[in-house]
Amino acid sequence: MRTVSKLLLLAGTAGALAYPWLVPNYYLVYAGVLTVMYAAMATSWNILGGFTGYVSLGHSAFFGLGAYGTGLLITRAGMPWVLALLVSAVLVTVAAAVIGVAAVRVRGASFVIVSIALVSVMNLLVQGWRSLTGGATGLQVPAPFELSRGQTHMVFFYLFLALLGLVLLTWWFISRSRFGGGLKAIREDEDKAEMLGVPTAAFKVVAFAVSALFVALAGGLYAVWFRSLDPIFVFSIVSGVYMVLMSLLGGVRHLFGPLLGALIIAPAGEYFLIALGESQIHLTATGVLLVLVVLFMPEGIVPRLVGRPKGASIREDTAEQRLQEVKG
Amino acid sequence: MTLLLQGLGLGILTGGLYALLASGLSLYFGVMRVVMVAHPAFLFLAAYLTYTLHTALGIDPLLTIPLTVPVFFVLGVLVQRLLLARLAADQVQMMSVLLTFGLALTIEGLLGTIYTGSYKSVTVGYDTKSLTIGAVSLPYDKIIAFGVAGLTLAVLFGVLVKSRFGQALRATIQHREAARLVGIRTDRVTGYGFGVGLATAAVGGGVLALITPFFPASHWAWIGKLMAIIVVGGLGSVVGAALAAVLLGVVEGMVLVTVDATWATLMFYVFLFLTLLLRPQGFFGGRLAHRF
Repeated sequence: MRTVSKLLLLAGTAGALAYPWLVPNYYLVYAGVLTVMYAAMATSWNILGGFTGYVSLGHSAFFGLGAYGTGLLITRAGMPWVLALLVSAVLVTVAAAVIGVAAVRVRGASFVIVSIALVSVMNLLVQGWRSLTGGATGLQVPAPFELSRGQTHMVFFYLFLALLGLVLLTWWFISRSRFGGGLKAIREDEDKAEMLGVPTAAFKVVAFAVSALFVALAGGLYAVWFRSLDPIFVFSIVSGVYMVLMSLLGGVRHLFGPLLGALIIAPAGEYFLIALGESQIHLTATGVLLVLVVLFMPEGIVPRLVGRPKGASIREDTAEQRLQEVKG
Repeated sequence: MTLLLQGLGLGILTGGLYALLASGLSLYFGVMRVVMVAHPAFLFLAAYLTYTLHTALGIDPLLTIPLTVPVFFVLGVLVQRLLLARLAADQVQMMSVLLTFGLALTIEGLLGTIYTGSYKSVTVGYDTKSLTIGAVSLPYDKIIAFGVAGLTLAVLFGVLVKSRFGQALRATIQHREAARLVGIRTDRVTGYGFGVGLATAAVGGGVLALITPFFPASHWAWIGKLMAIIVVGGLGSVVGAALAAVLLGVVEGMVLVTVDATWATLMFYVFLFLTLLLRPQGFFGGRLAHRF
C-alpha cells in the first residue's frame, strides 16, 4: 500500500506539472489555474475546518483582503509585486489573528454567523472606502510580466501549484505535530481538551491565522494574475462556500480531500458557466450539491475510497472494534 | 433634531418587520438549535410570489399573504421533516447551517433564472403617499408594513402563550425530554415550529414586496442583519429578538439619516461583534442561549 500511494503521489505530481503542456489551448490552462487556486484555498481552509471542526463560511474575506492588499501595495505604494504579495499576506495574517481572538470565542452556529458577517463587513468597507479602493468600480492592477495572456496563465499555473504544494506540506506537518494533535482534540471535545491542558484558545487563533495566511497568498496571486478586482466577486460568500463544499466533498479529515473536491467542483463550475452562460442556475447546482453532500456524504469521498483513515486522524472505531478485527 | 426624529420614526417602522422575521429565526433555533440561513431567501421567494400574484392576477400584495402563508407553513414542515431531521444529532449545529445555506443558494439561483437579476417592485395606489406629523413624514406603505408585522407578531404571541399547540411548542423548546414524558410528540411539534417560522417569512415577503424593490441576491444583506438581531437578542428568545430588532432598526434609521447607508448597515455588525465580545449569550437569551 505504501509503494502504491507513493507511486500515485508521484504520478499525480508529474501529471500536474505536465498539465499546461498537454492541453490543446490556453482556455484549459486558465481553467487549470482556477482549479489549482481553489484547491490551494480549500486545503488552506481545511487547516482550520478539518482539524478543529470550526466551519468558516467567511474565508473569502481573507482572499479579498489578500487580493486588495497586494493590489493596493502595487498601485499606491509602488512595490514590486512579489514584495507586495508577501507584505499583504503578513498583514492579513496579523489581522486574522486579531479577528481570530474574537471569533473563536464563540462556537458552533455563532462562529458560522461571525464568519458570514466578516465577509459582509469587508465587502461594505471596500465598497464604501472609494478614495482608497475604487469602490464598486473595482481596482486595476498592472501586469507583472511582459508576456502574452496565454503565457501569463502558464506562469501562474506553476505559481499556484507551488502554493498548493506549500499548503499541502503545511497541513501534513501540522497533522503529525503536537499542535495538530491539540487541534484534533478541540474538534473531538473542546472542553475535555482544555481540561487536559491543551491551550485551546491559542491553538485556535494560530490555526485561524495560518489558514488565513495561505488564503491571503492565493488572493494576492489572484490579484496579480487576474489584474482586475471587483469587490462583489472578491468578497463573495459563494467563493467561501466553494472552499467548504470542496473540503466536505473530498473529506475534511484527509490531506488530499479538499484537493479532490476542488478537482471535481472547480471544473464542474467552469463547465456550467460555458454550458449555461451567465444564468444564475449554477448557484442552484451548487446549492443542491451542498445539500446532498451534507445529507448523504458528510465524511466525503476519500474515506469511501481508502476505507478507514490511516493515522491521519483520530480513529472513529473503538478499541473494542479494533480488538475484534485482530481476533477475526 | 428633525432629522433624528425622522430616523427614529423610520427605524421603528423597519424594526417591526425585522422583529417579525427574527421571531421566525428564534423559533427555528428554539425547537431545533438550528440557525436557518435560508430564512431571508424564503423571504424573497415570498416577495417574488407576491410579485407574480400581483402582476398576473392583480391581487393586492397584502391580500396575497393568506395565500402564501399556508404554502410556506407546509414548506417549513417539509424542510424540517425531510432534510434537517436527517442530520446526525452530534453535528446538527454546523451541518444545519451548511444545509440551509445550500437551500438559500438553490432558491437564489432559481429566482435569478426565472425572474432575472434585475430589480422588481410592486406598486399600488397607497404606497407613494406619506403621513406627515410635524416635520416628520412617514410613508404609508411603511406604516402598513409595521401594522401587518405587529399584528402577525401579536397573533404569534397569542398562539404561543394561549393555545395548546403553543404550550406544546414552548415545552419542546424548554425541555425536549420532559415534553416527551408528558406526552407531547416533540418530533411533530418541531416540524410545526418550522412551519410557523417559515410562515413569518411568507408574511414578511408580502410586506417586503410592498415597501422596497428587490432582486434575487438581496437576501445576503438580510442574512447578516437578521443574524445580528438574534445574536444581540439572545439566540432562541422570541421576545429578545423582537426588542433587539426594534433597537437595531432605530439605530439603523438614525445612522442612515445622519451618516450614510454603508454605516447604517455596518451598525448591525458592530452590535453583533460587541455582543459576542461582551455577552456571547445575548442580552435577553438566558439559559437557552448559553454558549452557542
